[in-house]
Amino acid sequence: MGDIAGLVGKRLGLGLIILLVISVIIFFMVELLPGDIAQAVLGQGATEENLAALRKEMGLDQPAIVRYLGWLKDAVVFDFGSSVVTQEPVTSIIGERFAKTLFLAAYAAVIAVPVSIVLGVLVALMRNSIFDRVANVLTLTSISSPEFFLGYILILYFAVKWGMFPAIASLSEGMSFVELLNRAFLPALTLVLVVVAHMMRMTRASIINLLASPYIEMARLKGAPPLKVIVRHALPNAWAPIINVVALNLAYLITGVVLVEVVFVYPGIGQALVDAVSKRDFPVVQACCLIFAATFILLNLAADVGAILTNPRLRHPK
Amino acid sequence: MELTTSQFVIGYYTFLLGVSCFGAYTNKRQVFMLAFSLTLVSFVLGIVGGAAALKAIAICAGMLAIAGMISFGFREFLIQIAEGDFGAGIRNSGSSSVVTLILVAACIVSGVMGWGFTEILIAITILFVVITSLNPETAKELRTAPLTAAFGMFVIFTYAVAGIFAPWIAPFGEAEVISSAFAPPDENMLLGADQLGRDMFSRIVYGSRNSVGLAITATVAAFILGAGAGLLAATKGGWFDQFMGRFADVIMSIPSLIFALLMLSIFGPTTPVIICAVAIIYAPRVFRLTRAVAGNVVVMDYIEAAKLRGEGMWYLIRREILPNSTAPLVAEFGLEFCFVFLLVAGLSFLGLGIQPPTADWGSMVRENATLISFGDITPLIPAAAIALLTVAVNFVVDWMLFRSSGLKEQ
Repeated sequence: MGDIAGLVGKRLGLGLIILLVISVIIFFMVELLPGDIAQAVLGQGATEENLAALRKEMGLDQPAIVRYLGWLKDAVVFDFGSSVVTQEPVTSIIGERFAKTLFLAAYAAVIAVPVSIVLGVLVALMRNSIFDRVANVLTLTSISSPEFFLGYILILYFAVKWGMFPAIASLSEGMSFVELLNRAFLPALTLVLVVVAHMMRMTRASIINLLASPYIEMARLKGAPPLKVIVRHALPNAWAPIINVVALNLAYLITGVVLVEVVFVYPGIGQALVDAVSKRDFPVVQACCLIFAATFILLNLAADVGAILTNPRLRHPK
Repeated sequence: MELTTSQFVIGYYTFLLGVSCFGAYTNKRQVFMLAFSLTLVSFVLGIVGGAAALKAIAICAGMLAIAGMISFGFREFLIQIAEGDFGAGIRNSGSSSVVTLILVAACIVSGVMGWGFTEILIAITILFVVITSLNPETAKELRTAPLTAAFGMFVIFTYAVAGIFAPWIAPFGEAEVISSAFAPPDENMLLGADQLGRDMFSRIVYGSRNSVGLAITATVAAFILGAGAGLLAATKGGWFDQFMGRFADVIMSIPSLIFALLMLSIFGPTTPVIICAVAIIYAPRVFRLTRAVAGNVVVMDYIEAAKLRGEGMWYLIRREILPNSTAPLVAEFGLEFCFVFLLVAGLSFLGLGIQPPTADWGSMVRENATLISFGDITPLIPAAAIALLTVAVNFVVDWMLFRSSGLKEQ
């Protein structure tokens, strides 16, 4: 078991280094700003005294590297400074929103993962039939549509025409869980549509890839029924690619959430990021970017680790 | 002649049952399965939704049939042109690449100088490239193309025409205010007016030029950056290869939309910034693929021979590696274009794309979104235009990948 721990530890270390590099990129990109943050916040008409005061307050009189280390030290304990627009601490702005975004992503994932894996396996079994082709065209259409297109179509039919679900996902304190699920249904469904298409195609491809291997041929030749071939012979080897597919798509969910949140006015972190970008509120933008990137890396890491755990061959790299 | 509902329903089922019996009789298993399962589904839907549901199915099937017929016709048209081999003379004289370069240069110069005929020059260039690349060889491949690929090509053709000749097609200018806000469609305005009283149809036509043009420019930029670095890394190897590989890893581990938002928040949402941001975000993907493809070519014996002949790196890349890795790169260009197009559309939906009053599909959806709550589908048309082009490109790329990989699933 020692080698597994070593491999996983190595991946973790690599992920940490990448995250560190990303934090450098995110921090020093703002330094590329023409002028500096104080100038950007106060605008062209700011007086010299105001600028100097703001610079002092934000610590801009110190060299960039000192500020970066300070920022990083605080970021590790989730303290991202305070917003330059509202002066609120960034953590209080995005903390609660992040939880809501995670709720939305989890909601979508709980629906999407089982559905897409079952459908992917079914379509792989019926490959090259007319249903496979229809599924291929449908999933391709769903992948190719911008998220806001799917979102607005759902609003048009489910909310405006049939009045089944609310079009605007306004969440408030003290809502019951069922009420929350009802309010967040349309945004979650939009994400589900996109992610199911991706996952189905990837599951189908990996299963078909597997079904072409000689030992499946052998199982078929010795007369095993199709279901048994899938469940006993193919599935144990398919776990690794499927786990990979799931983790990659969850990572995709995290970013797809930005557009969906804007369409449905869902009070999540994506909405906060878009607002902050248009207000040029850099501490919030930096914090959101770092959180998104960290989640993304974490899920990719989970995919790697899952693949190592389920596929013994990866534990002995050539 | 007006059909009554009962006549329609009877005709509908007669047709479906007739087709399924025909399929069963002539042993066409797929036709039978499709027609008969559609009959069964129609029973259920007819009971639940009444004749309206059946009509919706009939309309969908009719639209599919029309799309299929157009695709079939377009494919035959392309095959005929290819067999006619109009480009043979130019190709045989060997001057086609020179002429293409001159035409592209003329397009750029004319666009920069603002002479009035850039559109016509671009159209001539595209026509020239297409005609010279259609030969009896491609005719053979076109014959095996699935209808979806032909449909994709037809859609791309339509968008190209709409984008290039936008000022002639659109009845009004893209920023011309001609009526009151959100005016309904009338004989002047096909789709009504937008939130400022500009003609929606004209803006959609102009949008095909602005949105698609921006996405193509950004993809080309990403390609020049990524493919250039990939080819260099593959031929040079060593620390440059290692460094570029790690650098690409880092960029790819930031979600693309988030990275784009970060860059746009810092440098402001102007067109050059969008192009640069997209190029930086998507270049690593192109780099990875080019590196892999070129890496396979570099180890070939003919490269070794060329090296021993004393050829320089530039010659190796241009004459040996590039011609042997075009097919996957062209397919990758299509795929990247889809990603870039969706990213740019998302950005402009968030108000960070091409700035108004320039017509742009993403921002048009956002600006007119209020109409959706009144059950009006007009704001969805630009979004559907984005989806249709992406689907079309994907169809063509699917076919090209299938063709170039040469692998057939069992």
